This record gives sequence, C-alpha cells and structure tokens, in this order.
Amino acid sequence: MLGFAKGLGFTLKKLTEKSVTHKYPDVPYPFPPRFRGIQHFSPEKCIVCNQCARICPTECIQLTGKSHPDPEKKGKIIDTYDINFEICILCDLCTEVCPTEAIVMTNNFELSTYSRDELFKNLKWLDDNNTNVREEN
Amino acid sequence: MNLSLPEELTGKTGLRTEEMILNVGPQHPSTHGVFRLVAKIDGETIKEAIPVMGYLHRGTEKLAENLTYTQIIPYTDRLDYLASMTNNYVFCHAVETMMGLEIPDRAEYLRVIVMELQRIASHFVWWGTYLLDIGAIGPFLYAFRDRETIIELFAELSGARLTYNYMRIGGVKWDAPPGWIDKVSEFVQYMKKELDNYHRLVSGNEIFVNRLTGVGTYSREMALDYSLSGVMLRCTGEKWDLRKDEPYSIYDRFDFDVPTSTDGDCMARYHLRLEEIVQSLRIVEQAVAQFPKDGEIMGKVPRVIRPPAGETFVRIEAPRGELGVYIASQGKDKPWRMKLRRPSFVNLQILPDLLRGENISNMIAILGSIDIVVGEVDA
Amino acid sequence: MTSLLEQTPSLLNVVLLALAAVALLAVVLGFVTYAIYFERKIIGWMQLRPGPNRVGPLGLLQTVADVAKLLLKEDTRPKSADKALFALAPVLAYGPAFAVLAVMPFSENIGFADLGIGVLYYIALSSITILGVITAGWASNNKWSLIGGLRSAAQMISYEVPLVMSVVGIILMTGSLNLRDIVEAQRDVWNIIPQFFAFCVFLIAAQAELNRSPFDLPEAESELVAGYHVEYSGFRFAMFMLAEYVYMFGMGSLITILFLGGWLPPIEALGFIPGIVWFILKFSLYVFLQFWLRATMPRIRADQLMSFAWKGLLPVALINILLTAFFVSYSNGSF
Repeated sequence: MLGFAKGLGFTLKKLTEKSVTHKYPDVPYPFPPRFRGIQHFSPEKCIVCNQCARICPTECIQLTGKSHPDPEKKGKIIDTYDINFEICILCDLCTEVCPTEAIVMTNNFELSTYSRDELFKNLKWLDDNNTNVREEN
Repeated sequence: MNLSLPEELTGKTGLRTEEMILNVGPQHPSTHGVFRLVAKIDGETIKEAIPVMGYLHRGTEKLAENLTYTQIIPYTDRLDYLASMTNNYVFCHAVETMMGLEIPDRAEYLRVIVMELQRIASHFVWWGTYLLDIGAIGPFLYAFRDRETIIELFAELSGARLTYNYMRIGGVKWDAPPGWIDKVSEFVQYMKKELDNYHRLVSGNEIFVNRLTGVGTYSREMALDYSLSGVMLRCTGEKWDLRKDEPYSIYDRFDFDVPTSTDGDCMARYHLRLEEIVQSLRIVEQAVAQFPKDGEIMGKVPRVIRPPAGETFVRIEAPRGELGVYIASQGKDKPWRMKLRRPSFVNLQILPDLLRGENISNMIAILGSIDIVVGEVDA
Repeated sequence: MTSLLEQTPSLLNVVLLALAAVALLAVVLGFVTYAIYFERKIIGWMQLRPGPNRVGPLGLLQTVADVAKLLLKEDTRPKSADKALFALAPVLAYGPAFAVLAVMPFSENIGFADLGIGVLYYIALSSITILGVITAGWASNNKWSLIGGLRSAAQMISYEVPLVMSVVGIILMTGSLNLRDIVEAQRDVWNIIPQFFAFCVFLIAAQAELNRSPFDLPEAESELVAGYHVEYSGFRFAMFMLAEYVYMFGMGSLITILFLGGWLPPIEALGFIPGIVWFILKFSLYVFLQFWLRATMPRIRADQLMSFAWKGLLPVALINILLTAFFVSYSNGSF
C-alpha cells in the first residue's frame, strides 16, 4: 500500500530541485567542438576533386569547376558549389573525404526559413558562413 | 412469435450488440509515430486487430543497392533512430566479416561503450514513453533528463545528438576526446544510484502494478513460433542473448548476466528492461576500466571498400532484439542486395494475437510493451 | 448576503444579488485561470522544468492568452454531428458546475443561499454534468468520444455512490444537511479525525468525480485521444475545460467544509485571523494535492476502476456509516 506514497514523496522532493531546462533561444546552446553544423566552404582551397559530391549519400552537393585563369598553372578552380539543405543530412562524410579541408563543418545550425528555395545555398553563402568553424575535421 | 435473435448476434446477455471498427492511428498519441491499428471492437473488447504498417517506409534496403558501403552507414542511423549506434555497428560488422578485417582494440572498446550507452538511452526512452502511455507524465521527463546526459556524451564524441554516423568500416570515426572516458564512468556511477529513484517513482505504484500484471501474456512456445527476440523473448524464460550466446565484438571479455523472467507479461518486460540497464551499466563500467591507454581507432582498410563476392548474415543484440544484416556482394563497391532483420518488425507480428479478446485500455499497454520504433518497423 | 435573499424582492435586491453572482463568477474565473497556471507551474517544477514563462512576467498571462486563443478560434462542428445536442452539451456540463457554488459558505458571512439541504443540493446538481458529458460523447458522432462519454458516465455514476455514502457519516454526526451547521459542528474537532475512513473514501471518489488523475480515464489522451471532447474546439471546448476546473473549485470547497472545518482555525488561539483566510489555505492545500497526484500517478485501468468503486470504496463507506451510527446512538444513550 506504500508504493504510490513513495512516488509522491519522490515528486515532492523534486519540487524544489533546480530545473534542467536549457534557456535556448534566450541563451545560445553550447554544442561540443565536434558538432556537425552547416558547412563552411572556402573556394581558394578547393581543388575540384569532386570527392565530396561523390561520397554524399543524398547527392545534395553539386559543383562545377573551370580551368585556372592563370594559364601557367595546371588544375582547375571551383566555379559553382551548391548544397541543397532540403536533403542534406549533415552526415559529415563530405568533410571527411575532402583532402584540402575546403569544406568543413561549423557550429552554426539555425537553418529555418520561410521558403524552401532559401535552403538551396550557393558558393557565396557557404563561403560567408565562416563563423564557429570546426577545428578538427 | 419468436422474436429472439440468434445466439451469435446476442451473445450470453441476450442483448444485441454491434461490432465497430476503431481506427487507432496513424495519428494516435500512443502508437509511437505513424503506426496504425485497425481494431474491430465489441463494446470495449477487441475482436480483431490488424496492424497497418508502411507509413514511414523509406526503402532503405533498396536505396542501399545504389550506395557505396560507406554511404549506407548514415542510412542505418535512421532505421531505429533511438539506437543508431547499434545499427551502425551491425552494418559495419557485416562488411568487416565479409572482408575479414581486423579491428583495433581501442575501436572495439569505443564501440562497446557507445553501444551499451545506446541501449541504456533507448530503454530510457521506452521507460518514459511507456509510462506516458499508461498515463503518468512525470517519468518521461526524468528519463529524458538522464538520456540527455548520454546524448551529450555522444554529441561530444561524434558531433551529433541522434544520427551519429559514428562507426566506419574497420573502426570508428573519432577517438574519445580528452576526459570523455571519465565522464562516462561518472555517468555510470550516477546512474547506478539514480535507477533506485526510477523504481521508487513507478515500480511500486499499486495502480501501475495492477495495470500490467498478467496483461499481454504469452508462452515460450508462442514467442519462439513468432521468432521474437530480445526482451520479448526473455520475458518468457528463454535465456537467449547474442552477447552471451554468440559473442560478437569483444563481449566475451565482460562479466554480465542475462536477466530472464517466466511470467511473460507486460510487468515482466518492464522489469527486464530496467534490469538490462543495470547489466549495461556493468558492461560499460568494465569496458571503461579495461579501456586501452592508446592505440589505433581505424584498422587497415582498403581505400575503396569492395567486399569479395558472396553473401553474409550477421546478427547482434540490439536494444529491441536481434538485429540482423544480410549482404549479398558481387565484388563491387555497392552491395547487390541488403536485407535487414528488424527486431521491431518481427516482434510486432505477435500483436494481433495478443490483442484478441483484450480490453481497449490494455491495447496501449500491450503495444507499448513491445517497444517498437516505427522507423525500424517500416524501414 | 443571506439576508438579501430573505427580503421581499425589489429592484435593488435583484440587482445586488446579480452583482454578487457576477462577482463570484469573476472570482471563479480568476481561480480557474490561476489554477491552470499553477497546475502547469507546479507540475513543471516537479519535472525539473520551469513551466510556462513566456507570456507576461513569469508567464502569469499564459492562461489568459490560451483562453483568448480558444475564444477567437473558429467554431468548428463535425458534419455528421447532432447539431442541437452538440451545442447543448457544453452548457449542460458547465451550468450545474457554477450552480453548485450557490450553497457554499466560504466564511461566517461570505456565502449565498443557506439551504437546509446544502449537501443534497450539491450532489444532485453535480450529477447533471454527466448528462452533458454523455451528450457530448454521443452528439460528436465520433467513436472515440462515444467510448469516452460512456466510460465517463459509468465512472461518474459508480463513484457518486461511495461519495454520497461517505458523507452520510458526517450527516449522522451533525444531524443536519446544512453546510453551515456542518462547519459549526466541527468547533471541537474537525471531521477528518472521527471520520477518517469517510475522508479517504471521499477524497478518492472526488478524484473520480472530477475526472482527474489517476482517474482521468474519460479523457485519457494516450488511449482515447481526448475522450468525450475530442471533436470540440474553441469556445465549446473552453466550456468543458471551465466546467472541470469549476468543479475542482466546488469539490475543494466542499471537502474543506465537510472534513477540514471550513473557515474555522485549527486552534482557538489563531481565531483572530479572518475565517476566509483559513478557508483559502485549506482549499489551496486540496488543490495542490490535485497537481501533486497528477505529477505522480499513472492512470487506472477502466475495468479495475469499476471494481474498485463497488468492491473497495463502497464497503468501506458502508462500514463507516454503520460504525458512525453505532457511536452516535451510543453517545445519545440509545443503548
């Protein structure tokens, strides 16, 4: 007969305990350093090896390269680079395969918009997304 | 003139009653997602219940045929989204078995630690949501507070809170960050004490005990016939746990018990799941103590993963039961066929049998005690 | 206030009485607003979260915002619902909830009607609400609400029996059905002590009457989605919600009057504090118990609920009546 009384005692004890709620969004939520947020892309590092587009499980990365404007140098430079965040699952595989760390994760994660079109991020947006960049990739 | 109706219409009472079709779900609060149950009821008694599945079908098995082996790992996260780590593991384990890869010790320990923590986290969610189904709102929040600790540990380790994509073929992606192992053992010590509070809050409550004892009972034979696994099988007295009976990874290095019960009812399943948390804590504690000081976290893996032609089936003990992966390879970098044995799906098959003749208020108690995750049922 | 009722009706009297009723309505609505607020706050604190804190300072205006939302919402009605009954049900549920407050003496001089049969009046009127619930369940033309409505009818009728039976002991001791007399009879010792079993039975049966945890089956959201008011929204839903909380107000007042000595102070020395303060204190204690139970208890099963009422509570209540009758006769020197 005392079973439920024990439960009542437990909840009464909890009444005065400190709440564990995070105060997000009033206070920013601190994520650990390895957190996988929205990618940052630095075009100057990219060698257009196409590995990120190939490894992407949802095929959300599209890129095109063009030949180097300086005819002396070999290789390609990046022309367009788009990530479709409607289908990106932030799985970390693109940053894992990138040999030059041109694409890296950041700790930014707020992506909500009023239109789906805005989830289609281009090279410039990804380049500008350069805060809270992850240290180890 | 004889006005009485035939016996099959009136039953014993002599009153004519009508059967009614009750549609439970797919938007019912207690079907844990988008599961649907069509129940034919007579009064409050269920005559027949037909589970309708597939609302969350994403075709993972078919998708896998067009993905390289590494690309499939994030998809396995999304099967049983409460136990992503075990899903990661079983897939990597299958490919590693095919290729005969050696896994470094440190990686194996990390895998075991995260898998057991995942089992604990998964059982917390079950505990909380089951009590929510039964009508108690408090336990849900206490369970999620403790689960949050595990989730934060995982976020620190892998960078994600739910879909970890942590394991790789041949090892794990990240090494434990400094101080992580200490945090794990701190959590284990805390949780050992905190579990008593779980029992204090719920296990002794008379309403709760009366509600579950003797509800949803089935025999060992029936469980075996339906090929149930995990707690659903062990609650009938069958001592079968793949971690003990077919040790994979490094489970043979740990000392733990396989709790069983012979009652076969919802109460037995409730106690077994809580007891499994204790055993998982024991494993984590030992794994943390034995954790190698240094070492590799990735074995020697070819640059492109191409398992030799052939097929393999591996199975592990996931939080919900036996989770199996079958892979048929033709020596390419993509599997020719992947098939998953999903414990939620298999365990759910017994539901129509259990519900026949039950009261509607037991429906939720029985469905909840099976512990399904619709992502896994529908794959 | 009682004196007003006894005068010959004149325009002034009627206006004054109407104003007093409106004042009580305002108090009750204020209570409901902040009962909901505190319910959410207290359960929140018990569950280690802050509870509502966004609307107004400390979230104090949360319920006001919720009610405003309900009132401004489109009034929807299912196509196949029974039009007239669907509209009538919330009124049937709410009307008696407010009417029962007429007999409640809140202190020596705050109170409305002083009926000789106050207890009977309360119990009789509160039964009408069941009709509202069944009507709602039937008129919605929804299977869930039908099951919910029938369940709650069965539950409320079953629990009404032990509820009434447990009060009989007090009536025997006091020799009156008047609520004022019952309070005055508790000058020496509150009824909770001599009538402890009756108190327990009454407390449990009251939970079931109020459809509150652990007896919240009629609206068991995890089983029956929302029970009898599943198809109701907006203003009509607000009426059901209001009825539920006004009944909590009524039941809290009743239990304070019957068992906890109403406005009487616990010891004579504290008599300088006005009676209404004591009343509010005891009443708040009961309301807190409601929230506390809700934060802890799982829901009882429908079939066990019935057997508990008939096989558990009723015999205890009957034995209590027998014992009370025996002692009352003994102390009157009948033996």
